[in-house]
Amino acid sequence: MADRVILTIGTRKGLFVAEGAGPRRRFVLRGPFGPGVPVYATLIDARGAPRIYASSCSPFFGMKLLRSNDLGRSFRETKSAPAFPKDDGRALANIWSLEAGPRRRELLCGVEPASLFRSRNGGNSWEMVPGISNHEHARQWQPGGGGLCLHTIVRDGQRWHLAISTGGHYLSEDGGETFRPSNAGVGAGFAPDPYPEFGQCVHKIARHDDAPGRLYMQNHGGWTEWSGPGGPRPDIGVLRSDDYGRTWNSIARGLPSDFGFPIVVHPHDADTVYVVPLEPETRTCPGGAPAVWRSENGGASWRRLARGFPRRQSYFTVLRDAMDIDRARTPALYMGTTTGQLWIGRDGGEQWDCLFDSLPPIHNVRVAVI
Amino acid sequence: MPPEPSVTVHVPHPLRKYCRGATRFAIAAETVERALDVLEGEHEALYRNLCDETGALRRHLNVFINADNIRDLDGIDTTLKPGDDVTIVPAVSGG
Repeated sequence: MADRVILTIGTRKGLFVAEGAGPRRRFVLRGPFGPGVPVYATLIDARGAPRIYASSCSPFFGMKLLRSNDLGRSFRETKSAPAFPKDDGRALANIWSLEAGPRRRELLCGVEPASLFRSRNGGNSWEMVPGISNHEHARQWQPGGGGLCLHTIVRDGQRWHLAISTGGHYLSEDGGETFRPSNAGVGAGFAPDPYPEFGQCVHKIARHDDAPGRLYMQNHGGWTEWSGPGGPRPDIGVLRSDDYGRTWNSIARGLPSDFGFPIVVHPHDADTVYVVPLEPETRTCPGGAPAVWRSENGGASWRRLARGFPRRQSYFTVLRDAMDIDRARTPALYMGTTTGQLWIGRDGGEQWDCLFDSLPPIHNVRVAVI
Repeated sequence: MPPEPSVTVHVPHPLRKYCRGATRFAIAAETVERALDVLEGEHEALYRNLCDETGALRRHLNVFINADNIRDLDGIDTTLKPGDDVTIVPAVSGG
């Protein structure tokens, strides 16, 4: 059977699913699913019979989790959503990340205020992961522009990497039991200490299975002109670690801006990585000319990929979870904008085409080839 | 102790699926807080839509006793009389 390419698109007004065939020339859109409320997190769990999950965050009625057992033709609420224990004092404000847990049907969920939850039954019941949720630093983390959110979960066996805005990068090496901040080399521009132990505004972390010690980070950059205490902090926005996230080094040189949100690794080459540089103040495309930038040497140099994008007067933002790449032999990237466009970057980002032009503002894009 | 007054809870359309499609039902409660406690026990799925984990009424929901918003009364301490209509209404907002 021909491959099916499934895209989940979380927007400010609900969830959409797009489906295309292997060549990815044309996609059919389904949705919106859910009650027209923001969807910040989606997951296509292809282990066994594929399931799609999506957060559904109602400002009126609270958080829900949606699940589809038919590749996004229909969705139903799971029996429960993550919730803090009654005596905890915190209340769930948003669901920011969904990732597959270590075992089949196991899910991990990062939320706002920054905490981690785990389900062992496909989202029907949840337990808080205390190692990070009750970490001694947890009450010291501060909200970033999007809120105090645990937005990134990257698993590598017993090693779990979490990113918190603003808490920084936390590492577990015992399968999520205990966590410690691991931010050596990760700068912060909004505090007098340029390299604090924790409290950085990490935007996204990505890794590749073939290079387990290698991690890429899009951090909150844009502090080159800073003239306050601690001095300027150039190039702290795009970083790489080669020791499992213990220490980080800048790879931002050559980019037009070290500010951005998503960072994505090529599925077949751990040295190839993509970012979307944005103007740090407006958080829009530099000069009104959108571009994705690609490095094929682990960040040593960068190349601008803009064929197919508007050349001027385009001022969208690409949010942290709004870019993904498929695992086809010649992969395509998928990028959603805050102006509601969904772009496909064919041939590894060489050629960009707009698949859907007028969706609601896009928070999240995930792709799977089934 | 006298029996708690019976009031009618009116359920907005988006929440009826959490109480088997009921548009309204009667409960016995002498305050709004007690009414929420009863809902937590008897209609837990509905209750989760009304209150967060700390027990606080969700910010963008309004509760009316007859024609009065409980925010203009005594909040969740507002007392209920037999025959009162308790109406749950999502706040007007958009964008």
